[in-house]
Amino acid sequence: MSLPARRLHDAPASLPLPVVTSAPAATPRALPRDIEAALWRGDQIGVPVTAVVPSGFAALDAELPGGGWPCNSLTELLQPQPGVAEWRLLGDAVRRAVAAGRTLVVVGPPHSPHLPGLQHLGVDERHLVWVRADRPAERLWVTEQLIRANAAGLLLSWLPQARPEQIRRLQLCAQSCDAPVFLCRPVTAASEPSAAPLRVELRFGADWELQLRLLKRKGPTHEGVLTLASVPGGLESILTPRLRQPSRLIAARQARDTLHVVGSPAPRRPAARAAVRSLAAH
Amino acid sequence: MELEASVRLFGGKRRLVERVRDESAALGVAQLSWAPTSLAALALARAARSNGFAAPLAEVLDALPLDALSAVAAHRATLARLGCTTLGQVRALPRGGLGRRFDAALLATLDQAYGLRPEAHRWVEIPDTFAVRLELMARVELAPALLFGARRLLLQMCGWLAARHAGVTAFTLRWWHDAMRSKAAGEGGELTVRTAQPTRDVEHLTRLLAEHLAHVVLSAAVGDVQLLAVDVCPLAPPSLSLLPEPRQVGENLALVLERIAARLGPDQVLRPLLCEDHRAEWMTHWQPAAASAVHTSHPPRRCVDIPQPSFVLTQPLRLALRDHRPLYQGVLQLLAGPHRVEGGWWDRTVADGQSATRHVARDYWVALSEHAGVLWVFQTRLDDEQIAWFLHGMFA
Repeated sequence: MSLPARRLHDAPASLPLPVVTSAPAATPRALPRDIEAALWRGDQIGVPVTAVVPSGFAALDAELPGGGWPCNSLTELLQPQPGVAEWRLLGDAVRRAVAAGRTLVVVGPPHSPHLPGLQHLGVDERHLVWVRADRPAERLWVTEQLIRANAAGLLLSWLPQARPEQIRRLQLCAQSCDAPVFLCRPVTAASEPSAAPLRVELRFGADWELQLRLLKRKGPTHEGVLTLASVPGGLESILTPRLRQPSRLIAARQARDTLHVVGSPAPRRPAARAAVRSLAAH
Repeated sequence: MELEASVRLFGGKRRLVERVRDESAALGVAQLSWAPTSLAALALARAARSNGFAAPLAEVLDALPLDALSAVAAHRATLARLGCTTLGQVRALPRGGLGRRFDAALLATLDQAYGLRPEAHRWVEIPDTFAVRLELMARVELAPALLFGARRLLLQMCGWLAARHAGVTAFTLRWWHDAMRSKAAGEGGELTVRTAQPTRDVEHLTRLLAEHLAHVVLSAAVGDVQLLAVDVCPLAPPSLSLLPEPRQVGENLALVLERIAARLGPDQVLRPLLCEDHRAEWMTHWQPAAASAVHTSHPPRRCVDIPQPSFVLTQPLRLALRDHRPLYQGVLQLLAGPHRVEGGWWDRTVADGQSATRHVARDYWVALSEHAGVLWVFQTRLDDEQIAWFLHGMFA
């Protein structure tokens, strides 16, 4: 219904409708409230009718339809390799789910989850379930069962080999699931079609950053990279100002290495200092 | 069952009849009938007719054969020689003669069936234990096909549980091979299914049993199955509220996990248990979700304040070195450390037949890899006095 309404207002004078010609300056704001709510304009971010869970990053919420991670649908997280930045991105959603007394279910993570680390996200032992499924078919079955049951507070599933029709099936099931469902998939899946309404490419930056590209969302396409500051749980307290920007340390080290290779035939051992220091503790 | 007083509860007689007709089919009921008296209903069912209200009761019953009532059928031979083939003809005989020549039960039964004498029923007493055996209609070769017969038994069991206000936490399905089995096959087998919470939900129990049966291989064709309720405990049904419920929140998580554990195996669905340990491998003890459901009332343990990764590797991965610097998808930039973790000589274990201790002496570092993110690596001294670096976790 959006298109005819839009044409109505941008209509040239040749349209025979007297309403349009008599009020050419009628702005879209003048529409009644209920029509306004039902109208979607091409330049707006789509508003999902479902509930959302705030992501905890204001910059990201502003770009997500509805202002957060959508419930009742799938969200794909595409990463170059699994197990790099999932918890950093989802930390706030996890914290909210657990604080509401609901259980976090992880299906087939690449490594075993470490509860002391997850405690920094507010997870405690009563609210975490790890389903260890190795075969792709098992992972899909478990994910579908959990989505259908609508019992988890947040579902995080690693599905590296899912095919588009399988994702479509999960998305159909997820429409009746009240919790956000995240599927972690490799970044190579970005070229495949997917039924998930929200697809996020997630990379990490050296200076305690997450770099996000919204590959697909309801509404106009998103250009550019969202950079979100994020320090993994527990590390915040030990970061010195020097450690705030590890990229400088890396650059300095690389410059040193090049200098050694070019300048001195017998290179010193740059890491020996660290080794000696820790050996002293023995 | 006398229902006249509570017909409204079930939404009228017609609705009740429809419900009984629909649900009794699953229990294996072949013929339904209804009539003003219970004996008349029984007689109609035996004669393969259903409605006793279509005509006056006497007309309906008069046409039935002698077999329809057990007390009459006992004297069938004598009555047949008198020329009687239907109940109406028996009733037409003089009452005095009938009472003298046959026993009192014949007249009493006839009067009760025709509604001339009140019927007295004995109370139904529910047995204390549930063990029902069912002979399958056909020999079953595959275990999942047993489910058809087992479902009928499950329905009966859930009815029994509802009558006793109880739920089941364990039940056993036993099966017997038929007589044509080979000698090696044995008598039969059994399968015990346990649930985390007491339940009498037929659908859940059926799905659970289906998952367990999928793993069973029958050694011969099965003729009989039996279902036993092993552990029964009281279960109060959730009370219905007068106000509309907010919304059905979906299935219980424990039920889903139970079903998943039934298919994948109990060791694949895990819940964590924090242990007071300083070594990362033994900080979290993972136990099957079904077993740990009991302990969920613990207060949450205190949070560790030192940095801990969110993923750990089950086996630390030895890293290659270049210029004495550890490599993992490129040279690692060490950020913070060392954090010394040492001790564990008291933790004895048996490895390869020799007792050993899980003593560790490690210096943990937070390291940054340009591709693999923030890592948790440690440096330790091996048995041959070499220094080695290991990758142990990820701050994902």
